[in-house]
Amino acid sequence: MFDLLGTALVNVAQVKYLLPLFFGTLAGVVGGALPGVTITMTIIVVLPFTFGLDPLQGLAAMTGVYVGGSAGGLITACLIGIPGTPSAIATTFDGHPMAKKGEPGRAVWLGVWASFFGGLLGGAFLILATGPLAKFALQFGPWEFFSLFVFALSMVAGLVESSLAKGLVSGGLGLIVTILGSDPVMGQKRLTLGIPFLEGGIDFLPVLIGVFAFAQIMSEVERMGGAEKLADAVDRSLGLAVSHLKVIGEILGRPFLLLWVAFIGVVIGVLPAIGGSAASMMAYDQAKKLSKHPQKFGSGVPEGIIASEASNNANVGGSLVTIMAFGIPGDAVTAVMLGALTIHGIQSGPLFILQNPELAYGIFAAYLLAHPLMVLIIGLSTSFMLRIVTVPKAVLFPVVLVLCVIGAYALNNTMSNVYVLLAFGLIGYAMVKGGFPLAPFILGVILGDQIEINLIRAIMTDADPWLFLTRPISGALIALSVASVVFAIWQHYRHQSKVAGDSETDF
Amino acid sequence: MGRDGIAGLAVLAASLALFVLTLDLKDSPLVPVGPGFYPRIVLALTAVLSLGLAVADVLAHRGRRPAPAADATKLNYPLVAISFGVFALYVVALPWLGFRIATFAYVVASSSLLAPPRGAKGWSAPLILALATTVVTWLVFERWLSVLLPRGSWTDF
Repeated sequence: MFDLLGTALVNVAQVKYLLPLFFGTLAGVVGGALPGVTITMTIIVVLPFTFGLDPLQGLAAMTGVYVGGSAGGLITACLIGIPGTPSAIATTFDGHPMAKKGEPGRAVWLGVWASFFGGLLGGAFLILATGPLAKFALQFGPWEFFSLFVFALSMVAGLVESSLAKGLVSGGLGLIVTILGSDPVMGQKRLTLGIPFLEGGIDFLPVLIGVFAFAQIMSEVERMGGAEKLADAVDRSLGLAVSHLKVIGEILGRPFLLLWVAFIGVVIGVLPAIGGSAASMMAYDQAKKLSKHPQKFGSGVPEGIIASEASNNANVGGSLVTIMAFGIPGDAVTAVMLGALTIHGIQSGPLFILQNPELAYGIFAAYLLAHPLMVLIIGLSTSFMLRIVTVPKAVLFPVVLVLCVIGAYALNNTMSNVYVLLAFGLIGYAMVKGGFPLAPFILGVILGDQIEINLIRAIMTDADPWLFLTRPISGALIALSVASVVFAIWQHYRHQSKVAGDSETDF
Repeated sequence: MGRDGIAGLAVLAASLALFVLTLDLKDSPLVPVGPGFYPRIVLALTAVLSLGLAVADVLAHRGRRPAPAADATKLNYPLVAISFGVFALYVVALPWLGFRIATFAYVVASSSLLAPPRGAKGWSAPLILALATTVVTWLVFERWLSVLLPRGSWTDF
C-alpha cells in the first residue's frame, strides 16, 4: 500500500498532474471564499475543463477543488464575518471576533493550519480505510448492494431535512428520473413519453448541474435588487502577518481536540449527504462542551476555529472513502466526481481500487498534495482574495451558467443534455422553494439504475425475496434502513418544538 | 391545504399517470421480471409517500390557527422568472445562432438584467464581460480542450 502511495505521490508531483491540482485548489479556494458560491457550484464550473484531460488529471483538479473549497470559506468567515461556504459558518463564531479584536492573521492562519492538519488526518483515514472497506464490499452480492443503496437513500432522506416525508418523496422523484427512457438490464424502451431524447435515458450529470446550480443561483438572484454591501464590509488594509510556528504550536498543543474533531469530520463525511456544515457545527459544539471555559466560545477563542476548520476538511477524506469503497457519493461534490469517473468509462465501487490502483492511489496522492498547495495559495493570495469576493453577482452568475451549459453539452455533444439542464434547473428551484431536500433526489438519480440492476440480478439468481432479509449483511442493511427511518421520525417529533428559523441551505 | 399538500397531490398524480403507462410494457422472455417491474415498485412507493405527505399536510392544517405573517424579507421573484426566461431563450437559441453569438447575447442580457447599466457608459461592463466570456470559453474549450461547441444552423458560426 505504501509503495503504491509513494509511487503515486511522485507521479502526481509531476507538472502534468500538479498543474490541474494547483488550478483546482485555486478554484476551490476562490469559490470557497466567495459568499454565495459553494464548493458544489465550483466543482460544477470546473467539470467541463476536465473533459479534455486524462482521468487522473481531471480527478486531481476536482480533489483540489474539494480541499481548497473546504478551507476557502474561512477567509471571508474570519475577515468579514460572512462564511464563504456553509461549512465555514461555525468558523465565523470565533474567527470573526478574533479578527475584530485585532488578530485577523491569527484567525485566518489558525483556520488554514487547522484545515491542513484536519485534512491530513482525514487523508490518513481515507488511505487506511478505503482498501479494507472495498475488500469487505467485495463479499457483497446483488442482495447486499441493493440493500446498501436502499440504506443510503433512506438514511439521506431521513437525515437531511426535518420532514422525513419530503425527504422520501424527494428520493422517490430521483428514482423516477432513472426509470424514464430504457430498462438498464435489457435496454428495452419504457416511459419515454414520446420524447425522442428520453429513449437513451437521462444522464445524471446534467440533472445534478441543473438542480444544484439553479437552486443556488436563483436563490441568490431572488435576494438581489438592492445595493450590494459586501464591498463596504471589506477592509483591504488588514495585515495578516503572523508567526506560523506559533499558530501551528497552538493547534498541535491541543492534540486531543484536533483528533476528536477530525474524527467527527471523518464520520460525518462517511455518512452520505450530511456535509461539511454539519461536521463543523458538531465539532464546534463538541469543542465547546469539552472546553474548560465554554463561556468564552464566540468571543474569539482558537479552539472554536480549530474545531470547525479541522473537522470540515477531515470531512472531505470521509466523503471520498464512501465513493471509492462503495460507489456511493457522500455529497454533491463527490457525485460530480462520480460523474467524471463515468465520463472516462471508469466504474466506481469496490472493484475501483483493485482495477484502477494507479488512479485510486493517484487520488490519495492528489488529496495529500492539495493540502500544502492550499496553504501556499491562501498564503499568497489572501489580500487578493478580498478583492475577488467583491466581484458582483451580475458578473459571476451569467459566466457560471454559461459554464454549466458547456458542461452539460460537452458530455456527448448534444443539445438534449442542455434541455435536461434547463428542465431540472426549474425542477430544482421549485423543490427548494417547496422545502424538498435536494440530496435524496440526487442520490435517487445516481443510485436508481444500480438499485434496479441489483434487484433484477438478485431475482434472476434466486427468486426467493426473503434472501434480502436472511442474508446476514443484506438483512443488517435493511434493518439499518428501517432504523434510520424510525430514528428520523423520532428525531422529527423530538425537535418539532425546537425548530429554529431557516438556516443557510447546504447545497 | 398548504404548499406541501399541493406538492404531494402533484407528485401523486404524476406517479399514478406513469404507473398506468407501465401497464403497457411487455415482459421479456429472457428475464423473470419485465421492464415494468421495478418502475411499478418505485411509482407505487412514491405515490404512497406523496399521498402521505398530502394527508399529513391536511391534518396539520386542521385546527391550526392562521400562520403569522411571513418573514419581512422581500424576495425578488420577478427577477428570478425573467432570469429563467432569458436562460431558456439562450438554450433555445444555441442551436440556431451558435455558441458564440448566443453566449455573447445571453451574457449581455443576463448581466444587465441583474445589474441594470446606467447610461451609455454603463453598457461597457456587460459588453466587455460578454465578449471576454465568449472568447475565453471558445478558446479554452474548442481550441485547447477540443470540445466542439454548438454551431448555429442559421449563422454557421
